[in-house]
Order: sequence, then structure tokens, then C-alpha cells
Amino acid sequence: MLRTKPWTPYLYLAPVSLLMLFVFGYPLAAIFDFSMRRIRGASGPFIGLENYRQIFKDDVFQQAILHNAQLLLAVPILVLVGIVLAVLLYERVAGWRVYRTILFAPFIIAIPVIGVVFSNMLSLNGAVNELLRAIGLGFLALDWLGSAQMALWSVMAIIIWHEMGFGVVLFLARLLSLNEEIQEAARIDGAGWWQRLWYVTIPQLKDVTEFYAVVSVITMLAWVFPFVYVMTRGGPGNATQVMELYIFNFAFRNSLPGIASAVAVILFLITLALMIPLFQLRARAEMEGIE
Amino acid sequence: MSEKVLRISRRDFIKLAAASAAAAGVYYWPGSHPFAARAAGEKLRMWWWGEQEAPGLEKWVKDSVAIFEKETGVTIEVTLQDTTTVISEFQTASAAGNAPDIQFLWNGIYHMESVWLGYLEPLNGLISDELLKEADATVLSIYQGKQYRLGWYACSLIWLYNKEMFDKAGLNADQPPTTWEGLLDACDKLKSKGFTPIVGGLKDGPWGEWYMGHALGPNLDTPAEALKLFIGELDWREPRYYEHWTKLEQLWKAGYMNEDMNSIDLYPGMDYFGAGKGAMTAIVVPTLGKQAGMLGAEKVGLMVFPAGGKGKMNNKPIRDLQGLGISSQSQHKEIAAKFLESLHTPERVQAIWTDSKALPTDASWDGNKIEDPLFREAWKNWVANPDSVPYISNLMPVMFWTDAMFVNAQKIVAGEYNGEQAGENAQAVATKWREQNPDLLEKYQIWANDLAL
Amino acid sequence: MSVREMQAAPLESVTGVARAGAPRRRIDLSVVVKQLVLLLAAMTVLLPAYFMVITPLKTQEAYALSKLGFPTQIYLGNFETALRGGRFFLWFGNSIILSVGAVALSTFFAALGAFATSRMNFRGRNVLLSVISSLMVIPPVVMLIPLFLLLTRLKMTSTYPGAILVYAGMLAPFSVYLLNNFFRTIPHEIIESALMDGASPFDILFRIMLPLSSPAMMTLITVNMLWVWNDLLIALVLLPEDGMRTLMVGITVFGSRYNADVPVSMAGMLMASVPIFLIYLFGQRYFIRGLVAGAIKG
Repeated sequence: MLRTKPWTPYLYLAPVSLLMLFVFGYPLAAIFDFSMRRIRGASGPFIGLENYRQIFKDDVFQQAILHNAQLLLAVPILVLVGIVLAVLLYERVAGWRVYRTILFAPFIIAIPVIGVVFSNMLSLNGAVNELLRAIGLGFLALDWLGSAQMALWSVMAIIIWHEMGFGVVLFLARLLSLNEEIQEAARIDGAGWWQRLWYVTIPQLKDVTEFYAVVSVITMLAWVFPFVYVMTRGGPGNATQVMELYIFNFAFRNSLPGIASAVAVILFLITLALMIPLFQLRARAEMEGIE
Repeated sequence: MSEKVLRISRRDFIKLAAASAAAAGVYYWPGSHPFAARAAGEKLRMWWWGEQEAPGLEKWVKDSVAIFEKETGVTIEVTLQDTTTVISEFQTASAAGNAPDIQFLWNGIYHMESVWLGYLEPLNGLISDELLKEADATVLSIYQGKQYRLGWYACSLIWLYNKEMFDKAGLNADQPPTTWEGLLDACDKLKSKGFTPIVGGLKDGPWGEWYMGHALGPNLDTPAEALKLFIGELDWREPRYYEHWTKLEQLWKAGYMNEDMNSIDLYPGMDYFGAGKGAMTAIVVPTLGKQAGMLGAEKVGLMVFPAGGKGKMNNKPIRDLQGLGISSQSQHKEIAAKFLESLHTPERVQAIWTDSKALPTDASWDGNKIEDPLFREAWKNWVANPDSVPYISNLMPVMFWTDAMFVNAQKIVAGEYNGEQAGENAQAVATKWREQNPDLLEKYQIWANDLAL
Repeated sequence: MSVREMQAAPLESVTGVARAGAPRRRIDLSVVVKQLVLLLAAMTVLLPAYFMVITPLKTQEAYALSKLGFPTQIYLGNFETALRGGRFFLWFGNSIILSVGAVALSTFFAALGAFATSRMNFRGRNVLLSVISSLMVIPPVVMLIPLFLLLTRLKMTSTYPGAILVYAGMLAPFSVYLLNNFFRTIPHEIIESALMDGASPFDILFRIMLPLSSPAMMTLITVNMLWVWNDLLIALVLLPEDGMRTLMVGITVFGSRYNADVPVSMAGMLMASVPIFLIYLFGQRYFIRGLVAGAIKG
């Protein structure tokens, strides 16, 4: 540690702290205040917990929460797909570097682009259904984004499509840092591919898996706005309504920022709760010296 | 004090100027006028929208500003707004005391909420009564006898039909259906010839709002009735008020609409008509040119949606228009009013049409000189027609659009709702809105009384 | 490269250039199956890309006939229409200004802050670090309403400074966190010797720490740039003015404006994606390393 005058550290910290107070500090305090007012424009009368009462009896909000919860089903899929593809790349299957480049690419492509492309491809008479009909799977040609039963699953599939590459490179990075001797020993003992995957590789990836799972959970709960906004705007008939969109709509379309703030408070508390396992993971990771 | 005196004298002067100008039939004042001398150097802000639906308006706005700036020495800083934030941005800016002087305003509740919140200035007194009437902004712009917008261009709602398809299906291409039975019969014949009778796109939602405007209105006697439904004095669960959704269900189940309705947006759905893939569709006037251009103007017929309603508003063309208003926070209301007036010189009004093919709404503008017969008819029946009705969807707040009008139509097409359930949902959404906006409810009631007169 | 070296530099190896390779393996799961799985995954990824590349080359009529087929005749008019209908250069320009501005600001401020957290003793250091790392996962939508009201009051909506401040603030926690961790790995001896030579803390940060941190910096800059570049929500709300649109908002609006003309819409999407895609192909290692590092740490 450097020896400094007592106030020097604070001087160095001041700019970034002010910036964070502006972007996080003030807003986080303000949403609690807003959430208990009927805001018109920039302020309004105090109405206690009325906004919370309103959202909890609003079935659109209930649907939004349920949809976020349903999106969590993508997490195990992301983990599984990520691990399997990463293992295949790790085994240096011919052309693995090309595959890696391709598989990671969706993560780089802007979400609005993905949204516009997929909404066109997935319309009832779009490219995907044309392909399905051409290969004799016409019965599978559904109204992917237009039917209430399918829309959320389609959105979920597209999110998986976008996020998948990230998991692949993450797991691959971890695999490459592992001790290959264990794998080798298992092979010599005659363990098959699946056995090694299940008994050797997956346990070895435990820490990264946990980490990736927590990050994906947060993504599914609080970072899906651009997908929904671009592809469905929450429709058809609220079938893809999620918390972020609900906040956005109440704040900027229904002109009720008070209610939107109440939802923001709830979302904030949920992420806060989810951070606890993340912290534990990180603390453990730091102790084990993995960075 | 001196400031106040100055203002009063300015206002009097403007009244005088406007009145004399109106008398002359020309709103024009030379650059050397005392008004110009006093206003010169001031800077005003204007936020607007419209290029999105009527391409070409941006040029018109720029030209109009340039003319005004040249004549008065005033600077007007113009900002084209984004569709999603037209309302919220103005309201928030107003709440923060930072509103633009001149604001674009959609009709009905979209600016009435701002009126109730005190963000908009009544135009009476700022702008001559003659011009207020001349560039009328529909009854939905009036609250407690005061007018808050000056009309700009028409966005009336029309249904189009394909004359060629009507011919082929053995229907009278010059007389589109005017009753519900007539519509069903036409749909049936069109369908049996292999045509899709009605095309539209519901994925983004607004088709549901258009549909309600076209189909619920005919069951009502006055716009006030729609407001009463909304404020809870009437009940959406009465058959008369959800019947239109039952009819939508009927059209859908009979296979009279394009099957991918829920998976395409409003405009692509409309374009099916232009592409010759459907016999009827709903549009707004600014999009008429595109459809006629795609299909061939001679094949396009205009009609009122034959909803078969039992109210006094049945079978009437729906007239709607966009407008501009003045912020109550503007420090330069008189100049802003002058600017709005300058947009209504005969030359500027004519330029709306030439620049963007949007139809001006000024009573003095003579649409009979439009060469294109289709646009002439649209102007005659949907813009200049005294026997037209306002667009009732404009009476409901955004939440009712998204949660009731959009959702109901989408769910009916998805097979999740029948007409009655749609009515129940509408009732629930209206109730929810009232609980969440008790402060606005009272104003709504006053407005309903205004409109009932 | 030996196993040990890989362990020492895991991120280097994942982004790695060709390597003599891990020991050859026996074929225990048929190579064909593995290839099939990867091929299938790759095709799933490539299908939309193929669609985005092939569609703009068709006329609307050709598209209506076949959505996925190869165009019989190459038609370039869609790009022209797209360029006329969308202000791509303006949107690119705005996105570049915002991401460069925000990243520069946050990196500079974060470097100062991280220098303090990693190399100086002060009260509240651990609390500050835990607060900072918890801020990383709070979604921006939570802060959006007060920020919008605040910026409106300050007359800073639809301005570069307003948006840059917000973006820089959003990036700050991660930046401090990453740099703090990296600065800690710099051997103390180097700093000791500089101190002996009479260097001030300021000198140490700018003459020693930062030059030594260039890999971490590249990582940080890549991740943060991509974050700002790809943001839709904040840009949508805080930059409502037409002329201030970012590429993300621009293409969203463009997509719905041309939703009736899929070939033109895809022409726009393609033009918006090509520059980033080229950067990705050439700077792949930074992207991957950056994002993996970002994720493992944050």
C-alpha cells in the first residue's frame, strides 16, 4: 500500500464516486420516494403504498412476473448447451476455431438487429416456416410470435440463440485452464465420453457453471427488454409482457411513473436478493484464486 | 408591471392584426411591421411529429420556419420527436418547467391530459376566433369551451376496397356494403372466389384500436357515450358495447381475414391490400397515396366500415386530424401564436398538400381542385364533410389502447377471447385506470359533459 | 503450450491463435456425431445471418416467392432505398460519439478510483468495494425514471453530455472493479522502486500502473464499448430527439418503418451489422477475452 496523505485516496475516488452517485445513488433513493407518490410529470402527492397495491392486483403485472419466471427455464438450457459445445470445441474437433468464431458471433450482433431479423423469419409465412414446409415438417409451421401459446417460447429461443455463444467461450476458457491429467486418467480407466462429461468435466466446471447460471438468471429477470421491445412489444395480448417492459410502459406510455417506480423497487429488491449467491461465488472464487 | 402592460398591448395588437388579416382573407404581415421589430431576436422551440406518417412534412416544417424567421427575425428551433415519446417527453418537460413553446398534439386524450395538468395554453384570445374555426381541431380539442389545438393535416380513418375483386366476385363495385349483413355477404362472395376479404396486421396492436373506432362508434349516439363507458357511467359488459368484438370474432372465425394477422404489423397488413392480396383494409388518409400507388388508383374504392350499428354515429365517415398547440410555460406565447398563424397562409396550406400529399384541414382550402379523384373523394367525405364523426378511440387513454383495444383484438384472433370476454376485459381495464388515476377522473367527467352538448 | 502454461494464461489460450494443440485424442465418440452437433449449432447461428445477407439482394416480388432461396437476379436497389430511408451515418456517428465519450470518461475516472482502492489505505475501503460490485448487476431500467426526470430538469435530454454521463456512470462499477483487481496484480516491487526515485502517486498511476495495464484496459474498453453500443433502453428514453438517435434506436425504428418491405429492412440490418462484424473478425481475441474476463469477474 502506498503511504499517502489521509485525504488523497478520497481525492482519487471523488470523480468516480460522484458519477456513481448521480447514476445510481440518487435514482435508487428516488424510486423509493416516487413509488409512494402519484407522480404527474416530476412529482406528486404522497399516497403511501397505493402504487404497490395497484400493481399487485394488476393481472398484467402478475403475468409479467410469471413470464420472467418462465424465461428462467432458459438457464439450464443455456448451461447445458454451453457445456456440450464447449467440450466439443475443447476436444479440437476439426475446424473448432471456425466453429468458435461462428458460435460466438450472435453475442456480438446488436439485439435490435436480431429482433428485426427474427420477427421477419418467424412470421406465419416467413422463412422459418417456408423451410419447415420444404423439408416436410409443415405441421410444425406455427405462428411463432403471433400466437399466445408460442410467443414467449419463441422469444426465449431467440434469447438462447443470442446468449449461447457467451456460455460456450466461458466454459471453453475454463476447460483450457483445467488440469488435463484428470481427464486423461479417466480415459485410461476406460470411461466413455458421456461418463467423462458427467463425472469429470461437469464437476470441474462447477464454479463457472454456478457463476454463469446466476448471471443468466439475472439476465432473464432484468435484461430482456430489447428483445421484447423490438419483437413483440409484449404481445400478442400481453403474452410476452415482462417486468422491464411494464416499467417502461407505465413510465413513458401510461404517464404513471409512480407505479413504474414501485415495480422498479421490486425489481431492484429481486436483483439485490440474487446478488447474495453471486457474492458468495465470487468470494469463493477469489479464495481459490480463480480469476 | 411594464412587462404586463407590454403583453396586453401586444395581445391587443395581435387580435387587431389577426382580425384585419382575417377580413382581408390573407394572414400576412410585412417584415417591417412593429410586431416583427419587437419579436426579432427571440428564440422559440417547437417539438413536432408527423414525418413518420406523412413523409414530406419535414420539408414543409423547415420551409415554414424559414419563411417566418425571415419575416420576423425570430429563431425557431425545430425538433422532430420519436413516436414513443411524443407525449411523455412534453409532459415531463412541462413538469420540469422546460417545455417547448410549440408542441405537436395528437387529438383527444393525448393532449387533453396535458390540458388537465395545466401544460397547454388555450388558444382563444391568442389566435383569432376566425382562424380557430377555420383550422378547426375537432370537438375533441375543446375543453370547457376553450380550444387547445390548431388543425394541421387530416388523419381521418377510411376503409379501402378493391373494385376489381368486387367485380370478379359479382358485387357492385360502385356501391360497397353499408350494412353488417351486406359486409358478411360480400366477404362470403369474395372468399368463394379465392380472395381474402379483409386484410390487416395486428402484431403491433393499433389495428385493434382502429377496429374499435370503426366498429364501436356506430353503436353510439355521441362521443360522450364512449367517455361514459370509460369513466364507468356505462358498462362495457352490456351487449351493445361489446357487440363489435363479437363481430370481429365472427369475421375471424368465418375465415374472412388474413390468417397471419397476429404475426404481422399494421403497415405490412395494410400493404397486402396494395399488393392485391386482399379485398378490404383499414387505413388513415396519409397512407392513401401509397396504397393507391401500389394497386392502381382506378381499382381503389373508399368506404365507411359497415359495422351495422344501432347508434346515431352509424355509417358516418370518421374525421380526425393532427394539430399544434402552445405551452402554458412559453415566455413567447404571442410569437408562438403568430407562428401558428403563419402556417395558415393560403400558400403554406397549399404546400402541405404539395410537399407531403397530406390533406390540409383548413376550411378555406379547396380540395375540389385536387386532380386525383381518389384524394378528392377522401377530402370531400372524410375531411370537409360536416356530417362526419370524431374518432372515439381518441377518447381513451393509452392504457386502454394497449390493455383493452390491442389486447382484445389480438386475443380474439388468437382464439383466447370471445366478444363477451373482450367486454369484460375492457371493463376491468377501465376500472383499473380509474383507480390509478383518481386525479384525472374528475376532468374526464367534465369532458364527458362538454361532449354531450 | 503445456497444460501449466494454459493454466497460467487461460484467457490467452481461449482467444488463442493456432496452437500446436493438446495431445491427440482417441476417437471415442464418433467424430461424425460431434461434427454433426457442431454443424447443427453453426447452422442455427448462420441461418439468420444467411437470411440477412441474401434477402436484401432480392426484389420484394422475389422475396414473396421464396424467402430463403438464392436470388435469380441480384438486385441492389434495396440498399439505396435503405440509405435514403435511414440516417445510418448519423446513427453511426451518434453511437460512436456516445460510446467513445462514455468509455473514455468512465475509464479515466475508474482508473483514478481503482488506484485508490487497490493501492491506498482508507476507511470504508471494503464497504466501498462491495457496494461497487453489487451495483454491477442492477439493471438500468431501475434507475431510468429518476434519471430521465433529472436530465429533463437539467435540460440535458437529447444531449451528448447528458447521455455520456449516464452511460459512463453505468459503466463505472464494472470498470472500477476490473481495474482494481488488475492493479492488485502489479508487483509491489515496481512501485517501491518508483517511490524510491521520488515518484508521486499521480506519476505511479500514469507512468507505471496504466502502461502495465494495457491488456486489462483493452478488455475493459472492448466490453464497455460493446455495452454502450448495444444499449437500446437508455438511448430510447434519454435521447428522444430524432437527430440524436443511436444506431440501436435508429435500426429499431427503421425496422418497424420498413416492416412491410423485408428486403429493404434487411438491407438496413446488414449495413448496421457489417462494421461491427468486421471488427469482431479482426479483433476477435479482444472481444472474447474481454467478455470472458468481464463475466468471470463481473
